[in-house]
Amino acid sequence: MKNRGIMRGTMLGIFLFYMIIPLVATIIFSVSTRWDHTILPEGLTMEWWQAVTSRRAFGMTLKNSMIVAFWTVLFSVLLVTPTAYWAHMRVPKAKPWIELMTILPFGIPGVILALALIRFYSSVPLPIINTPAILVAACMVISLPFMYRPVNNALEAIDIRSLSEAGLSLGAGWGQILVYVIIPNIIPGIINGALLVFSTVFAEFTLSNLLLGSRFKTFPIYLVEFTRFDGRQASALAVISFTVAWLTSLALLRLVRGRTHLEEAVGAR
Amino acid sequence: MAMAEKVIPTRKQQYQSWVAWLGLLPFFAFAIAFEIIPIIRLVRSSITGAQGEITLEPYVRVMTPWVVQAFKNSFRLSGLTAFLGMITGTLVAYAIIRTRNKVMRESVTALADVTTNFGGAPLAFAFIITLGSTGIITLVLKEFFGISLYPNFRIYSISGLTIAYLYFQIPLMVLIMIPSLLGLKREWQEAASNLGASNLEYWWRIALPILAPALIGGFILLFANSFGAYATAWTLTGPEINLVPIQIAALIRGEVQLDPAAADALASISLMLMAMCVAGYQLAIRRARRFQK
Repeated sequence: MKNRGIMRGTMLGIFLFYMIIPLVATIIFSVSTRWDHTILPEGLTMEWWQAVTSRRAFGMTLKNSMIVAFWTVLFSVLLVTPTAYWAHMRVPKAKPWIELMTILPFGIPGVILALALIRFYSSVPLPIINTPAILVAACMVISLPFMYRPVNNALEAIDIRSLSEAGLSLGAGWGQILVYVIIPNIIPGIINGALLVFSTVFAEFTLSNLLLGSRFKTFPIYLVEFTRFDGRQASALAVISFTVAWLTSLALLRLVRGRTHLEEAVGAR
Repeated sequence: MAMAEKVIPTRKQQYQSWVAWLGLLPFFAFAIAFEIIPIIRLVRSSITGAQGEITLEPYVRVMTPWVVQAFKNSFRLSGLTAFLGMITGTLVAYAIIRTRNKVMRESVTALADVTTNFGGAPLAFAFIITLGSTGIITLVLKEFFGISLYPNFRIYSISGLTIAYLYFQIPLMVLIMIPSLLGLKREWQEAASNLGASNLEYWWRIALPILAPALIGGFILLFANSFGAYATAWTLTGPEINLVPIQIAALIRGEVQLDPAAADALASISLMLMAMCVAGYQLAIRRARRFQK
């Protein structure tokens, strides 16, 4: 019995070591003067952080990523919430179809979605190719599952039919019911979805690199460029990315006790 | 959910039901415009010849030895990281749920939850710092244990990618297995041992069949997760590594001679594979949930 306890401890110890070392190494690397032939860094400095954050491209790419994440979250919430509510309330027959649409993106890797969008939208007269709009649309596709699942779960957890009927009998319109009755009741689900969408889109490299590339540089593109020419400044950028992902996860754990479905962990690879 | 079915629609509601579908128009219009049509067009163009005839010629053309090697590499990388991730993730999940220390249990679970979100470029770079030719672990191994990782091992290779991919594969498997392992009731083990089963027999004949759907579903999810991965591989190894997503991306970026039908064929093969993974995962996970409540 005692042996097993030691086995378990060792197992968890190795796991923790493997998970934490790359993160700690990146943080220390970003504040080290030099750390490539000694066990401990030769000295500490904020030089790389200052250098990388003072570049114009830093602010620009961070802003670009925020812009894409913002519009994706906004449009996803606006598209998915009323749809989920309406389907739940009035068109239950449509639910399997909606679910199908929200499961499919799991099976479409980023490179393939980018290829399909480029091939189709360069052949139709809709001028969104090579503009941030197509990136937002692509990000909305990959975030459909992250947005729909939490909102749908929240809808299923409350008695929206009674709430809606109460609203109707008091003379409210559907829009009023949605805004004043339903949304306040499912807001944790909406926030859950919005946070998942935000962290996925903020870290999204594949779609932004292939759809827009240097036309509209996002933060992960900036990071990858730096890994090729200055490792120490790249490490500062990597720390920023980890911090954003970590803060969103923390907010998720705090606010809504984690993810509702494991597939939500798939993305941004 | 049950409420929706219980209410009997009035005649007026029935009449209005097709009008109600219109409320879903924006959603379906979006999904069709940006998801369904582009994908269908891609698959259709991969089987259409120059004169509009149906042909499998692009598939033959795209399957050069180099691309066949890309599929082999992608299969090997995805299969290996899914398998290692499945085994390690399950053992870690078991260690987590059996640990009596509550703080340890909760913090490791939270760590797994957070680290499944770490991927792509920053993760790849963290591994260059850790296991690159002058990485910290490389230095420690050399200094204290006299082990030289380089030049036999390179982080910028498929074996390096395996280690980096496991970083997001293992925590994902941990999160999949925790609910299934918690579903194994202590009474089942007691009942088995009362009937004379050994510990090994219990695991092999009772626990394993119950856990099998979760294990298989987890393996499939991990496999698909790494088969479609692009950002990590691109950051770590650049265009030299021969994997399917890297090949597709190279076709998009025009790094190799542009041959749209070939690109579409390559993408369609991957899509078929991913579709099988998604379907297999859905089936397996539905079975796995039976024992989780």
